[in-house]
Amino acid sequence: MFFSEMTARDAFKLTKKKMTEYQTEFLERMNVIEVDAHWFRRVFHTFAASFLFYYLLPDEEWINLGKIVLPAIIVLCMVVVEYRRIRGDLDHQRFFGLRNYEKKRPASYLYFGVGVLLLFLLFPQQIAIPCILCASFTDPIIGESRYYLGKKRAYAIGFLISAFFFLVTWYRADWWVLILVSLLGATGAVMGEAKKLKLVDDDFMIQMLPAVLLLFMWQGLLALGINMLPPPLLYPL
Amino acid sequence: MEKKNDTRKENIQKLLLRLELWFAPVLIIVPIGASLFFLWDWYARGFSTGSSVYDGELLIGLLLLAGNLVFDVQFLRSVRMLKKKL
Repeated sequence: MFFSEMTARDAFKLTKKKMTEYQTEFLERMNVIEVDAHWFRRVFHTFAASFLFYYLLPDEEWINLGKIVLPAIIVLCMVVVEYRRIRGDLDHQRFFGLRNYEKKRPASYLYFGVGVLLLFLLFPQQIAIPCILCASFTDPIIGESRYYLGKKRAYAIGFLISAFFFLVTWYRADWWVLILVSLLGATGAVMGEAKKLKLVDDDFMIQMLPAVLLLFMWQGLLALGINMLPPPLLYPL
Repeated sequence: MEKKNDTRKENIQKLLLRLELWFAPVLIIVPIGASLFFLWDWYARGFSTGSSVYDGELLIGLLLLAGNLVFDVQFLRSVRMLKKKL
């Protein structure tokens, strides 16, 4: 049928039919896409590094309040979701990428969230930033290297990568502080990752252990009259 | 026609339940956006004014960008490979 012979109604029907066919085809194509759970988990880790944007948020009274309340609310929502999942109110199958051992205990994303929340609220950014970087990048790097190179080499690589993060983020500190902090921080991060505990996930330990070690070191030196903290790395907008 | 509509509804429901497909673009776009913002911030407040105070933004921006790109490429490859298998 030529366009000149078509009525507006025919044209509308034809367009609608074509659109429906296109939509059905698109939906079918989307549904056959499979996401690899292994790489999905890895990308979830690296995604978490973007939380460092937190330190760019402006330093105003109401925003400062939001900096405390909003992360706490997000973690609280995660706690509620996990509680309902473990109780069986939410179907486990709907949580993509969960490991088998996470069926009856809180999933690692909750531990990760709690760790980041504690770092944001209780630690200075000089300590929090490298620890979040370790949880975001060192953890997946160790995971991948362990697969190809074995445990020992993977932890050695993890140590070097973590030390690099501490070196980069503390580059304004005195040289002796820089060396001590890098060694202590990297040791804490690798120990946090290597030591598997029943109750606490390594995603929590990899960021909290180096943070607590550095906090003790900072406070200890402060008691001796030495402030080892360099100037902040990131400044609010 | 009704059968077609049912299939469409079924497909939509399946798609809505697959949270990983909704999350995947966010997991890729947000970190890259954040890293570009860090780099822009370093350029605007630091480089263009000749101040080295904001070099931290440059370091974090580069770390974020490089680290995420390395894993994003592997992730996208794995998605494509699984699609091909089907």
